[in-house]
Amino acid sequence: MTETGYIVPDASSSPHFIKKRSPLLEFVIGIWKNGKGKVGMIIYAVMIGIAVFGRLLAPYSPTDVNFPAFQPPSLAHLLGTNYVGEDVFSEFLYGTGVSLTVGFVVAFATMVIGTIAGISAGFLGKVTDDVIMRTVDVLLVIPGFPLLVILSAYLPPTIWSTILILSILSWPFHARVIRSQTLTLKRRAFVLASKLSGLGNFRIIVRDLIPNMLPIIFINSIFVVVGAIVAQAGLAFFGLGNINSVNWGTMLYWFDIEDGILFKAWWWLLPPGLGIMALGIGANLLSNAVSETNGTKRKD
Amino acid sequence: MITARYLERRVIYLVITFFIAVSINFFLPRLIPGNPAITILVSRYGNEIKPQELLLVESELNLRGSLLHQYIGYMVSLFHGYLGVSYYYYPATVVSIIASHLPWTLFLLGTATILSVIIGVSIATYIGWRLGGKSDSIISSIAISLGSLPFFWLGLIFQIVFGLMIVINGHHLFPIAHAFSANVYPGFTYSFISSVLWHSALPLITLVLISFPGFTLLMRNTISTIINDDYVQMARAKGLKTWRIKKMYVNRNARLPIATSVALAFGSIVGGAFLVEVVFSYPGIGYMLYESVVTSDFPLIDGIFLIITITVIIANFIVDLLYAFLDPRVVLE
Repeated sequence: MTETGYIVPDASSSPHFIKKRSPLLEFVIGIWKNGKGKVGMIIYAVMIGIAVFGRLLAPYSPTDVNFPAFQPPSLAHLLGTNYVGEDVFSEFLYGTGVSLTVGFVVAFATMVIGTIAGISAGFLGKVTDDVIMRTVDVLLVIPGFPLLVILSAYLPPTIWSTILILSILSWPFHARVIRSQTLTLKRRAFVLASKLSGLGNFRIIVRDLIPNMLPIIFINSIFVVVGAIVAQAGLAFFGLGNINSVNWGTMLYWFDIEDGILFKAWWWLLPPGLGIMALGIGANLLSNAVSETNGTKRKD
Repeated sequence: MITARYLERRVIYLVITFFIAVSINFFLPRLIPGNPAITILVSRYGNEIKPQELLLVESELNLRGSLLHQYIGYMVSLFHGYLGVSYYYYPATVVSIIASHLPWTLFLLGTATILSVIIGVSIATYIGWRLGGKSDSIISSIAISLGSLPFFWLGLIFQIVFGLMIVINGHHLFPIAHAFSANVYPGFTYSFISSVLWHSALPLITLVLISFPGFTLLMRNTISTIINDDYVQMARAKGLKTWRIKKMYVNRNARLPIATSVALAFGSIVGGAFLVEVVFSYPGIGYMLYESVVTSDFPLIDGIFLIITITVIIANFIVDLLYAFLDPRVVLE
């Protein structure tokens, strides 16, 4: 029943009406039903689980040095110990939290900046488009890692500096993808219809454009998560950022600095790299699943 | 075809990018709080600083006068090929330090990029014709896993496995550091060249293994769309031999996007090369950048950033122009 008094068929009882779920839920269920998507989601769920609850699961404090150094894996130390006798398994559990925080915060910032920049460029066109896209071109051509290094060298060495720098530098690629999406969507009938019915630019963007870009925004954001984690690890390896924070990057930094190589301490070297690899594979699986279920492709 | 208008625009764009990179270099040191001149003097002579000395170092570092005055001075010295003096290797100039290390980086970068493209393209041509098959899914997943590894992590793994663990006749398979053995002298001799190649093996393999998957996956996807194009169907309908369709119709077109992606990938291979140089103590400018970060040698950090940026910008520019020759249908205007 509606306010106007018309009789509306009950959605649940009539076979002609399918219960309308929110597009977001629909999107998630679509990925879950895809085989690759399921594996990707499980990988991310496990990683996020470790990131959130790792501190509780860790058998020791990651800075507890009361154990012999360079012990290979054993029952007491599932992943052995490092150069000062810290438990690598606990380090990894704690470190996952920091590394994933970096990845997700940077991805969120990138999506906000990149989506706004890309939609503005594509929707408003003219000077706005020129200014934004020329900035994007310049940022894309300057080699990313050296730029990261020089910025980090001058900023205070905290994990938030690293997050800030990565956020500033990761949006151009995303903005370009969003711009080209905006350009094609702009000409579609439903956007024209909204325009003719007198909707303002802002509402068209929020109601027509962004929901249609969700798949591509999602795909780009998971790749930014992985990219940011790898970039942070690279910076940490250069001794930049806060090298005393426990994360995947600093684990590898100390491994290199403290001659983990000469002790052949593979148990200390493998976990952070395999963590990154798992996220990378998960991202690719999710991206394939999204393009198979939504008919979108990641543009390289 | 390249029109004059296109060339003009690209050159303007090149110059703008160059100025932005230079400006980053100029403003960053001046944005952070603290006076670099005082920092240097304190680190060298302790806390007693004479005003005359401060004046001298300040003018040496181009820190006197208005910002505009400094900027112009900076530009002038830049165009005279002067990038300042290294703090750590004082009195060696930044340019001389970079000049002696850049060749190693260019060698690694160039070889790795070319090998990655060749290997990436060959593998893609192989699996592109077996799409959806077993070899396609196996090779694609291996490529995806490899491509998502951090360069330096794989480098460290190779050091342990091929540099230390595997021992044949009392010898390790590969060296884990430096660009050539200590007992050979640089020169155009067999012993020097073989030593260089032997030392570059692990860094190169690391770089190539992580860089080629991008090209493979890109070209594989291109092939998968081209295969259904009208002209390929037409060729099939005409009854052309499969190898002919492959070679003359599909592969040639599928290679085109590689050209544009090389330019973008080059930037990431630079980052990879820098990290791999650190892992293998390879004396390129990536390793120098690392040393200068450790020793807070800011003029050297700035100089290396500038030189590598200019190198990448020019490489991009050349690839852009090459593209028009590779694909005659492209009219760049």
